[in-house]
Amino acid sequence: MTSIDLDNVSKVYDPNGEAIEAVSDLDISIQDGEFLVFVGPSGCGKTTTLRAIAGLESITDGSIVFGGEDVTDARPRERGVAMVFQDYALYPHMTVRENIGFGLRLSSGLSEQEIERRVEETTEMLGIEDLLDDQPGELSGGQQQRVALGRAIVRDPSVFLLDEPLSNLDAKLRTDMRKEILRLQQELEVTAIYVTHDQTEAMAMGDRVAIMNHGRLQQIGPPEAVYLDPANKFVAGFLGSPSMNFLEASVESTDGTTTLEADGEFRHELPAGSVASSATEYDRVVVGIRPEDLEIVETGGVPVEVTVVEAMGDENVVYVDLGSTELTARIDSTVRLSRGDRIRIDFDSDDLYLFDPDTEAALETKTAQLTAYREPRQADATNP
Amino acid sequence: MSLRDNRNVKSVKTSIRTTRNTVRDALPTVPGVPYLYILPFYVLFGLFLAFPVVYTLYLSFFEYQGPGSGTLLEIDLVVFEAGVPRISSLEFVGLHNYRRLFGDALFLQSVENTIIITLIQMPLMVIVSLAVALMLHAKFVRYSGYFRTAIALPVTANYVAYSAIFLVMFAENFGFINYMLASAGLPTIPWRTDGFWAKVSLALALDWRWMGYNMLILFAGLQGIDRRLYEAAEIDGASRWEKFRYVTLPQLRPILLFVIILSTIGALQLFAEPMIITDGGPANQTITVVMYMYEEAFSRFNLGYASAITYALVVFVTILAYVQLKLGGE
Amino acid sequence: MATASDSKSLPVRFALYITLLVIIAITFIPLYWMVVAATLPQEEFFTLPPRLLPGTHFLENLQALEARFPYLRSVWNSVFVATVYTVISLFLCALAGFAFAKYEFKYREPLFYFILATLVLPVQIMIIPMYLLMAQFGLLDTHIALILPFLANPVGIFLMRQSMLSIPDSLLDAARIDGASEFQIFYRIALPAMKPMLAALAVILFISQWNAFLYPLVILESEELFTIPLAIERLTGHQRIYFDQIMVAATIAIIPMIVLFLWLQEHFVRGFTNSM
Ligand SMILES: Nc1ncnc2c1ncn2[C@@H]1O[C@H](COP(=O)(O)OP(=O)(O)O)[C@@H](O)[C@H]1O
Ligand SMILES: [Mg+2]
Repeated sequence: MTSIDLDNVSKVYDPNGEAIEAVSDLDISIQDGEFLVFVGPSGCGKTTTLRAIAGLESITDGSIVFGGEDVTDARPRERGVAMVFQDYALYPHMTVRENIGFGLRLSSGLSEQEIERRVEETTEMLGIEDLLDDQPGELSGGQQQRVALGRAIVRDPSVFLLDEPLSNLDAKLRTDMRKEILRLQQELEVTAIYVTHDQTEAMAMGDRVAIMNHGRLQQIGPPEAVYLDPANKFVAGFLGSPSMNFLEASVESTDGTTTLEADGEFRHELPAGSVASSATEYDRVVVGIRPEDLEIVETGGVPVEVTVVEAMGDENVVYVDLGSTELTARIDSTVRLSRGDRIRIDFDSDDLYLFDPDTEAALETKTAQLTAYREPRQADATNP
Repeated sequence: MSLRDNRNVKSVKTSIRTTRNTVRDALPTVPGVPYLYILPFYVLFGLFLAFPVVYTLYLSFFEYQGPGSGTLLEIDLVVFEAGVPRISSLEFVGLHNYRRLFGDALFLQSVENTIIITLIQMPLMVIVSLAVALMLHAKFVRYSGYFRTAIALPVTANYVAYSAIFLVMFAENFGFINYMLASAGLPTIPWRTDGFWAKVSLALALDWRWMGYNMLILFAGLQGIDRRLYEAAEIDGASRWEKFRYVTLPQLRPILLFVIILSTIGALQLFAEPMIITDGGPANQTITVVMYMYEEAFSRFNLGYASAITYALVVFVTILAYVQLKLGGE
Repeated sequence: MATASDSKSLPVRFALYITLLVIIAITFIPLYWMVVAATLPQEEFFTLPPRLLPGTHFLENLQALEARFPYLRSVWNSVFVATVYTVISLFLCALAGFAFAKYEFKYREPLFYFILATLVLPVQIMIIPMYLLMAQFGLLDTHIALILPFLANPVGIFLMRQSMLSIPDSLLDAARIDGASEFQIFYRIALPAMKPMLAALAVILFISQWNAFLYPLVILESEELFTIPLAIERLTGHQRIYFDQIMVAATIAIIPMIVLFLWLQEHFVRGFTNSM
């Protein structure tokens, strides 16, 4: 068990003279036994970060500390890490037994019987003891995944690294494996760092979620916190499915009332309060509203035209045109809608998010709802 | 949020950890590993391939006088002393060796022989191997794999060993082939005593040795053709001939060209077969370029002139091989 | 996918099978006749009409051959030289090919293309300098001189690099995490994962050395060091040619290779189609 400190970690690739900054100034403390998820769009530097922590990639700047010991220049085997790869990376010419035992045989100095015992114990834990003498090529994706997990945990690592381990599995298996991985992590009481581009997965699994974009950490915190109190427009838009709606609005403050206006058709008067007060300092703001916070109303609200209706079963995802802006709404499926319908939608002022139009920093979020939540599992979001 | 600002911040930090920059992108492993892995290869490569390529060219401007004596290059660093020995003593003759080529009747004869043998050998081989590949590729042929194996068997034959078989088979008086011709009521053929028939005997031997090999390559090419092209052609109502003409042939064209060039390169380097089967005879009618080079170099020890012959050959082969490599890349 | 044009009429099929059988006959006749000639007693060889069935005199003919020339020694030399060459060259090519495929290092591309450029050069270009070089090293008339110059095989490194490119990086990373040293990664992960390609390349390398004629002819002088091609050349060059003995020699050279071919066919075929 180990805590991990990333101190101003940067990684610049310099393949042919043109520097690519894959990770910039990453500053994160991961606690002992924590399950941290890195999430972000493809190419944002998640894998690079994970490989740097594993010792597979040198870093250009900063340092990496495992439990108080600087391991920046240490090799993977000196760090006590285990890793699960997206394509599983099972040794194709070895049986499951040999695959799982390979690391122990190389560097543990354990007796052959002890290695055998541990391999068998591990496979029992994962329910793959019947596959011991199969070759990876004979296994299904889910089985390969389990072998890859087995290979990682058999060495009793202090840090468990997973790079998009579930992205090659079908949806059903994916949810099963999520639970399985969480169970293993808790049973083994190991610090886990998990990389995914899937925000649902990130929110479902992480004690904390670290959102990255363009090589930079955007925000880190418990899932509820980053969802309800995103630090900026990127985080707000990245988390949640379908994504948050954004529209740029001008702010008009007269006689103590503050009104947001966009695209001519959209007018929304803000009640006096925190939302209004954070808006008044700006001429223009970016307004964000989540699809689930939009509702259909008989009167009032904003008139829109339905363009697409996606049935999801219990609810429909409804796309509507508001002037030139497309909005997404999640509407209960008892309301029957079809293309071309003209409806009115409305929302609660408390559900609005506001962002600075230039820096995209959040001005107003749902912090009020957040404090109503139970205390996050980890004491505090960041404590360097 | 511009990148530029970050750069500045970063450069300050870099000064704290300057050591990192030197190993930037290398994995945190031993940085020299890849060089260590390619070193043995490159030492051998440099000494036995790169050096000879240059040295043969160099030699072609000289007259060989005998084995070298003394040192070509001496490095003396007090503690360390090394010398590059002179491996031959030479007299500079400029382009003389190359000029000599054009007036050398025997050399020109060897070029002509080589070309004629190629011209006899190649069309027959390409046509037969293509035909066989097509037949074996036909969907209704059963046991195609066994047929292929049987026809490919000669690829295993050692050049000199199979040449020896043909040496005996093409014997004029007791040879198997003349006997078969005679018993079929046909005239026997002067394989040994007639220049043209001697060339034909070489060409036939070569065809036997290489037909299966080329068939394998062409067969692989046929298998690589997308089945859907045939299906599309069938939907368009193409006849069998049209399918061959408009689908198979254009699709196979690069590989066919490839086979032709490969065989030409092989034929230009002909050595074992004429050495064993005809010994260059009769009257130098089957002496090939490489044979002539060998004799100039190692019977008469005209290493300079032999180098010029080699380079004349190399230029042709290299051009052809280059074209072939380009085709292979496609 | 059965279409009208696939179901050939019987005569067409018949003609086709006949043609194939004729071609196979042409392929087999020289080999068959070689075996016949090698097994007949010397005096029956020249009878007209020639014998068409094999005899039983193979061992006698071999003894007569051995009395004149140490041919079995040549066979051993050929096997020895080709095997040693194949093993070492395979290792060097795989090691260098692995570096080119799976490591990033300075001048990687120019170094590789430099080798690639020599792919187009014919072997004759090395003969004369090699002779002088081997004379200088005192290696003329040795087996080392046959093996050494061809170890750095451009085709070999090219094929190895191409196939090693297909090894996922994650496989090597997984081994690093498992605590493997860089050499262990090569030896225990990359090499075994490349087995089919190694086998194909082994076939290419072995056959190239097995067939080598011109260069050994230049280098070797002592009969006891001769390889098969030189031995047979010597046998055919004598004043009086013993046809039966030559056929014995050819049989011993060719038949084991045919057996090997039938046994390792897929590797042979992959080797041929890859080395083009
Ligand atoms: N070996 C490399 N050489 C050069 N650039 C790289 C290399 N690996 C990754 N990158 C670049 O670094 C950035 C981050 O990549 P990565 O960490 O793989 O992203 P993610 O895992 O979040 O999709 C990308 O722009 C990618 O192109
Ligand atoms: Mg990634």
